[in-house]
Amino acid sequence: MVSDNTSTPPSPELPHELRRDITVWGSYMWGYADVGADIYAALGLVIAAAQGAASLAFAAAGIVYIMIGFAYTELAATYPVAGGGHYFALRGLGDFWGFTTGVALLLDYTIDIALFAVASAGYVNFFLPYFGIEPSHFVFMLGSLKINYLWLSESFAFILFLIWLNIIGIKESSLFNELIGAFDISIESSVIIFGFLFAWKPEYLIQQWQTSFPTLHQFMYGSSLGIISFVGLESISQAAQETKRPATIIPRTSVTLIFTVFIFATAFSTLSLGVLPWQTFQQHIGDPIATLAHAIPYIGLFAGPVTALLGATILLISANSGVMSASRLTYSMSEFGLITKWFDKVSPKYRTPVRTIVVFSVIGIVEMLLSFLTPQAMDTLGNMYAFGATLGYLIVFVALIRLRFSDPYTPRPYKMPLNLKIHYKDRIVDFPVLGILGFLGVGMVLFEVILTHKIGRIAGPAWVVLGIVYFIYFKKKNNMPVTKSIERNWEAHQMDVLISAEEFDLAEEYRIALKERDEKLKKHEQIKTDR
Amino acid sequence: MIQSTLGVIIAAFFLISIISLLWWMLHVPPIIPQVAARAHREVEALKNLLIPTQGMAYSERGVELACRLGTEQNATLIFAYVIEVPRTLPLNAEMENEDKVAQEAISHGEQLAALHKMKNKSLIVRSRSAGEEIVKLAREQDADVIVMGIRQHIGLKENILGRTSDIVLRKAPCEVIIDKLPGEEET
Repeated sequence: MVSDNTSTPPSPELPHELRRDITVWGSYMWGYADVGADIYAALGLVIAAAQGAASLAFAAAGIVYIMIGFAYTELAATYPVAGGGHYFALRGLGDFWGFTTGVALLLDYTIDIALFAVASAGYVNFFLPYFGIEPSHFVFMLGSLKINYLWLSESFAFILFLIWLNIIGIKESSLFNELIGAFDISIESSVIIFGFLFAWKPEYLIQQWQTSFPTLHQFMYGSSLGIISFVGLESISQAAQETKRPATIIPRTSVTLIFTVFIFATAFSTLSLGVLPWQTFQQHIGDPIATLAHAIPYIGLFAGPVTALLGATILLISANSGVMSASRLTYSMSEFGLITKWFDKVSPKYRTPVRTIVVFSVIGIVEMLLSFLTPQAMDTLGNMYAFGATLGYLIVFVALIRLRFSDPYTPRPYKMPLNLKIHYKDRIVDFPVLGILGFLGVGMVLFEVILTHKIGRIAGPAWVVLGIVYFIYFKKKNNMPVTKSIERNWEAHQMDVLISAEEFDLAEEYRIALKERDEKLKKHEQIKTDR
Repeated sequence: MIQSTLGVIIAAFFLISIISLLWWMLHVPPIIPQVAARAHREVEALKNLLIPTQGMAYSERGVELACRLGTEQNATLIFAYVIEVPRTLPLNAEMENEDKVAQEAISHGEQLAALHKMKNKSLIVRSRSAGEEIVKLAREQDADVIVMGIRQHIGLKENILGRTSDIVLRKAPCEVIIDKLPGEEET
């Protein structure tokens, strides 16, 4: 029987130490910071692969992305705590899968820090000649390798800045994203609006569609690249434990993010092919937005500096998103006893997980150094990025389906659309049809990643296997069963989360659902005893 | 120079879509205080409504109120007519007139339930005490709330409740809602 206030005594597992400072705009921007940069970088790649059908490739990738987005929206609103995919897998599938998902996603976030800090610094170098500094002069040779130490130092300084920013508070790091993100959205929107008004020719788009339609293989490759460009929605759920009223806000920010990013991606690709030939983007894979903006009247004059500024800022907030997400993910893994408890500490002064911020950003720095040491390292990191994300998403879809059966009582402020009502253990369960389709879609992308990315198919699984070796060592060292999950009072934990998030309406709904379940069980037992 | 009308339409569509999405996202519903949330959810959890009826105007009003109370959560209405059998008679004594009145009262309730498209079931039972029987039925039927309309004038002036409603209020295992219209003096 559930008591009047909460179902069971408060859980000792949840310290409530992270501060809820993220607003609705902040929550949206944590997601946009990550996904926005991906599109910025991937537009050229997708057009080069899918040629005249790039918009269709983005739309096809967008369908899988929307399903991933819906799954994350449901889970993040239902379980508004740090950890994202790792937490959902832990709740639905147990310790091992929770850990595996965490390790796969951690790979993404540390790479996020390295890749985007380096790329952001690259755009900053665009402005240095205006101040009489020529970046190409700051080079030293390491064997046959040319290393630009100015660029390396800038990237290093950016990561140090982000570490500091994230340590002093989530409010500060969120504000940084909010301001820069608003600027970036305005610039991107201006390019699209000016482009469609003054440069876009529909007949040109149709001509490219007719004369440069890709082969099936090219189209599939292009759409798989498109999917990768949508990676990053998870950041919203990583910040959930620091978001104000997360169960109310997250469905709104996630759904808005899903559709705004989808609109941006299809608009950019449609605009690009109605303005310039696809071959132009193939020649300028590194700076597609700048190439596009250059061809648009009125804004073409400012295209160089403005798109460089846009690139520098959007990539920097993406790296910021990597620092925040890596730290919250590992904080959560530590909190639930999947990795050492040393990481489960929050600074009493700043209320941020300082240890995880520093340690996993340093791993990002190591990856950054690697990217400077070998020309292939960037490519390797990119491949591993794709592997980590798709593996994580795949497990999350399984967790979503499982949780519909194993945890039907937790209120879901948002549910994935298209559900089948089926009878299961005296209950009616909403079976998520889109969950199955999403699983198959992501499974296909993972298959493509393994098939087409030579380095990624070895390096990605190697990272996960190394993680699992640590997991086994850690469990054995602490006398915990390796194959079994630690017993946790999820109901008390869930109630604590909802109350601390001030989601009182959902807390009451949950309390009543548990009460009804308990009464039903009691009745069943009574009937059995009477017999 | 504008290049094409379609381009203008797409630009406008893009702008309107982005602004609408962001506007919707930023307009978050207000927070519900814990006490209010509890009241909201507990009323929502009222799924079985027991409605003792007598076919009189005041009890029909109780039926209508119960229908409206249960509409949002698609509750089940349980109409109950208790025939009070005097102790001088056996419980199964023939009481043709009372049975007829009971059937009529129940059918009124069923008609109101049909009007509101609500699930319902009906019970006609015999007992020595209507109040005790309603309490017993509430227990047996797992009622979440008893909704009953009572008459305006009840015996002595100082009495607010009748014998039945008094017993129900004292002994009911669930929430009780009594509806009483103001008496003549009050009006």
